[in-house]
Amino acid sequence: MTNELTLDKKADTRRLDEMAQGLLGTPMDRPEGVLKVTGKAIYADEERPSNLAYGYLVRATGPIGRIVSTNKDEIAKMPGVVAVIEEADLPRNSVQGATPTAAPTRGDRIDYIGQPLALVVADGFEEARHAAQAMTAVMEADTGLHFDPEAPGASIETPEAKQASQGDLDAAMASAAFTLDEEYHTSSMHSAAMEPHATIAEWKDGKLTMRGAYQMLKFNQKSVSDALDLDLSQIRLLSPFVGGGFGSKLGIAPEAIAAALASKAVGRPVSVAMHRRQVFETTTHRSATKQKVRLAADKDGKLIGVGHDNLVYNLPGEKFSEPTTQATPFTYAGENRVIGHHIARLHRPAAGSVRAPGEAVGATVFEMAMDEMAEKLDLDPIEFRVRNIPDLDPSKGIPFSENRMEAVLRDGAERFGWKHTKPKQRLEDGWWIGTGVAAAVRVNMMSETSARVRLTQDGAVVETDMTDIGTGTYAILTQVAGELLGLPANRVETRLGDSDFPKAFGSGGSVGASSSGTAVYLACMELRQNIAAALGVEETDLTLKDGRAISGNVAKPLTEIVPGEGWSATGTVKGGKAGSLVRQATWGSCFAEVAVNAVTGETRVRRMLGSFAAGRILNEKTAKSQCIGGMTWGLGMALHEELVHDPRDGHMVNRDLAEYHVPANLDVPQIEAHLLMEDRDDWANPVQAKGIGELGISGTGAAVINAIYNACGVRIRSLPGTLDKILAELP
Amino acid sequence: MTVSFLLNGRPVEAEGPATRTLLDWLRETRGLTGTKEGCNEGDCGACTVMVTGEDGPRPLNACILLLPQLEGRAVRTVEGLGGDHPVQEAMVTHHGSQCGFCTPGFVMSMAAAHAQGRRDHDDVLAGNLCRCTGYAPIVRAAEAAEGAPVPGWVAADAEALRGLKGSRASGGGFEYLEKHEEVDAPEGPAGRPAYEPEAAGGSGARVGKQAVFLPRSAEELAEWYVAHPEATLVAGATDVGLWVTKGLRELPQVAFLNGCTDLQGIEEAEGWLRIGAGVTMERLLGVLAGPYPSYAEMIRRYGSLQVRSAATIGGSLANASPIGDNAPALIALGARLHLRQGEARREIALEDFFIDYGKQDREAGEFVEAVSLPAEAPGFRVWKISKRFDSDISAVCGAFNLAIEGGHVRSARIAFGGMAGIPKRAAALEAALEGQRFDAETVEAALPALERDFAPLTDMRASSGYRMEAAQGLLLRYLAQAGGAPVSVLELGS
Repeated sequence: MTNELTLDKKADTRRLDEMAQGLLGTPMDRPEGVLKVTGKAIYADEERPSNLAYGYLVRATGPIGRIVSTNKDEIAKMPGVVAVIEEADLPRNSVQGATPTAAPTRGDRIDYIGQPLALVVADGFEEARHAAQAMTAVMEADTGLHFDPEAPGASIETPEAKQASQGDLDAAMASAAFTLDEEYHTSSMHSAAMEPHATIAEWKDGKLTMRGAYQMLKFNQKSVSDALDLDLSQIRLLSPFVGGGFGSKLGIAPEAIAAALASKAVGRPVSVAMHRRQVFETTTHRSATKQKVRLAADKDGKLIGVGHDNLVYNLPGEKFSEPTTQATPFTYAGENRVIGHHIARLHRPAAGSVRAPGEAVGATVFEMAMDEMAEKLDLDPIEFRVRNIPDLDPSKGIPFSENRMEAVLRDGAERFGWKHTKPKQRLEDGWWIGTGVAAAVRVNMMSETSARVRLTQDGAVVETDMTDIGTGTYAILTQVAGELLGLPANRVETRLGDSDFPKAFGSGGSVGASSSGTAVYLACMELRQNIAAALGVEETDLTLKDGRAISGNVAKPLTEIVPGEGWSATGTVKGGKAGSLVRQATWGSCFAEVAVNAVTGETRVRRMLGSFAAGRILNEKTAKSQCIGGMTWGLGMALHEELVHDPRDGHMVNRDLAEYHVPANLDVPQIEAHLLMEDRDDWANPVQAKGIGELGISGTGAAVINAIYNACGVRIRSLPGTLDKILAELP
Repeated sequence: MTVSFLLNGRPVEAEGPATRTLLDWLRETRGLTGTKEGCNEGDCGACTVMVTGEDGPRPLNACILLLPQLEGRAVRTVEGLGGDHPVQEAMVTHHGSQCGFCTPGFVMSMAAAHAQGRRDHDDVLAGNLCRCTGYAPIVRAAEAAEGAPVPGWVAADAEALRGLKGSRASGGGFEYLEKHEEVDAPEGPAGRPAYEPEAAGGSGARVGKQAVFLPRSAEELAEWYVAHPEATLVAGATDVGLWVTKGLRELPQVAFLNGCTDLQGIEEAEGWLRIGAGVTMERLLGVLAGPYPSYAEMIRRYGSLQVRSAATIGGSLANASPIGDNAPALIALGARLHLRQGEARREIALEDFFIDYGKQDREAGEFVEAVSLPAEAPGFRVWKISKRFDSDISAVCGAFNLAIEGGHVRSARIAFGGMAGIPKRAAALEAALEGQRFDAETVEAALPALERDFAPLTDMRASSGYRMEAAQGLLLRYLAQAGGAPVSVLELGS
């Protein structure tokens, strides 16, 4: 049985609000939590077949250019070495997210320092690593390469489709009572998920099995198929637990393809685990951005013009470019609007999606500019934002599915105890104290996803190739199924991360929870029809609770209704016109209190609070955690995270966790996140839920930067706001 | 070589070259994959295990813990917690585990703290990175578990060790290794079944002799080191571990010092504290918290609990990093270094030990036996400046030891790290202060002198200009605190 739904219109019912189980939305513990705290959850490089060989990627150390020759033959003779996979079709870098094809291949070129040159396969890990360290290449160096997007002569593309203009912004800037025209910078950043990428590839009877850390199995399987020229039916990917992804595991990484190639070549299972430094270089990272923001406002603080121009970078041949301005077309009012997007082609490691591509840096910078503009207008920054919440999407003229910006700003302000103050008002014991606010906004998307639910007398089993990268998929799909089928959580089992299961979009773009939640909803609605038919009643008259079906004065345990072989139903949801008839987004506000040391410029975040709206909340605990985690990323982007590239050859200087500074415990105060629990978005899907995994970073870092200004009067326009930038301008 | 210890309550013998890490052995040989590898260099804490020795349970990073360091100890991994440890239960209910990869490391840090009765959770958890949770749920889980009874196996592990010590003396049970061991590094493990518990160890691909020595006293060490002056001395391995795991260096001759209990003494006599080279930074922190709170606070920040519990003061000084934080503090305090070569001993001012970048006043076969510092110096303050508050290398570390009498600077000892190729005194700045009234005017007038003392480097961590300005700022901070302003940088509360 299948139940398909294309999202072409607003949902006309809120069936989940009519259910009786009381499981959905509750802060239920994640069902796999016990496995994780006892070390029994099995990650990528842990379930090892016998006769395993080990592969280690060889790092190209430069120069960039054409590979003339390598010492492959010598390496192959080293102790323990089984094979040297030095092939033109080794991937250059990770595949971009949601891309069903292979990555650009190595060919005879090295395009960036750190690129995989080859894979050495040996009987032992140390032998493989030792031999890999000894491998060298004779190179014919390219000349005239660029490593800095802003260096003179850098090759800059300005794709037509990524520019937008309406009205006359220049005229608006010239005539407006108040204007802002500033340039901002954000650093390169890395996902730095805690689990380094790894794959164990094994061929058996013409079929390839890969155990690894992957976010999007449907796309990853297709990428493997393209890279190795295999039928999809020959490939099985297993990724039941993923130690964080944040974009770095969207597209399959070089180690996975290399493991598959090697396993085929040597006729043994091969494990390739990347060292942390290889993860930094060969998987995609977030491009640095240069952003120019122009704002024009009338004397009442109403925006009449918005300009957002940005420069990002990527390697030649990469289709992705950081969609910095993704939320700019609709967040605030302004009839005159120009959006510019430029891509520098550089020979740094490849850029790609990192948590909230676009808004993470674009909304953050825009929220910094909004704070500056509010000051020019002498307005409370909350008031300024609220005055500029548009009635319709100002770029497309279409309505919002719902716009909760004012609600989250007011809710957060009240909880935080927000009071608008002038800068440099509180100097206490050598510390400047200040507060700041920023809005958060992230586009909402749905994508084709299927899930199968089997209902037996024992309970329900949910199966989809969707993944749980820490986000809480195991919990929320258990809750959706339990709610609709009237089963307690312990009678629902959710199985994920197996490409043999029905295909989901995967974990990425905050699409996963709402899409897979809707697919499970659709499957369960089908099963409810079966139960209703068996009882001879209408589905709408059916109440399911604690394993019993109740209709009118009849109550019967499901065990007496469901046949011995059980029922199975597959739900499939597809994105449709609802995505273009209305503007769908999620909304948040973030407040921060900081202390800036008057002598050294050290910044300490003392308090951070956010309020968020994302439609129906499926699990209060996992949703809040996503927001808190996201705000922590915002804090990191504001104060610490900076991937440094060597200006001479583009290589990543600080490609480890010692020097790439993710926030540590003592950098992070006890962050509070609040959710608008009553929120429902009927345009999103029949579950009324939207994605929340990325909202927490989509602007929140600006609250910290704005608070620094409020504290000590120093405007940071280049992230991260390290102490040296503050010290130089301290009063 | 063979190393004997308790693993999750049972005696085990671990085979491998002396540079094999516990993490590698646990995952590859024992198939205990609960302990994770996140960075392989002691930054992230995902590999944290609990190690119990004579001084009780400690959390340590298994990725930079070399097998010989475990001789005669008890190791607990996440698999050995029983599954119902209070911190495990609290982590589930408080949602402290999300993607779960950092979780076993956090759980072990929490379990070790729980066993010690520690409730300073922020400090305890400083060495574990998490990218999902934002830490708050983990701290709440630690708070929720803190009152629960300590599981019985904690005492059992300690008891078992006491039994071992007794039996060692009587010649039974475990024994320390032969004093000198020339071991064949094992052959490449061709065809080794990779995932079978108890599979033959030996991850070493290199074949050759490795001289490994586990001395039981400074006396034994002194004799051996004179005969093996090229050898590497390993105390906590928080830096040497990286030579192995990150630099992929071989250590053909190596001695592990943690059996030298006579290097771990702390004595106070005639106004001086003598700290044995083998004293861990965590113990030193406890000793210094009374007389030198700013020093203790600096130690707390410069390395996580896992690192402080392994690292030693002797290793820190002998290593002579220009950005190490101990040296400037101790130089400002006028510390004396005790060196030993065979039976010969000498004592020098610590500042004279650092000659140039990578060059120290240390003879072949000579090692650091202890460092002495004044038992008190009320005018002493030290601060480090780093981009990230916790567990980050200093851009600048400034230490000030001023004696003020009648409003005048009677003497000044000021030293900086991160400002030159070696930790060094600021002689011109000291001279500009000495004899002057200690006030804002004097300090302002003296600050330019620092530019005669140092021409700092620009690197990824900080620019030359920033280092200079921040170093000068620290003297301003000293002035501010002398005037009564609190200057703690622990500003998380509100």
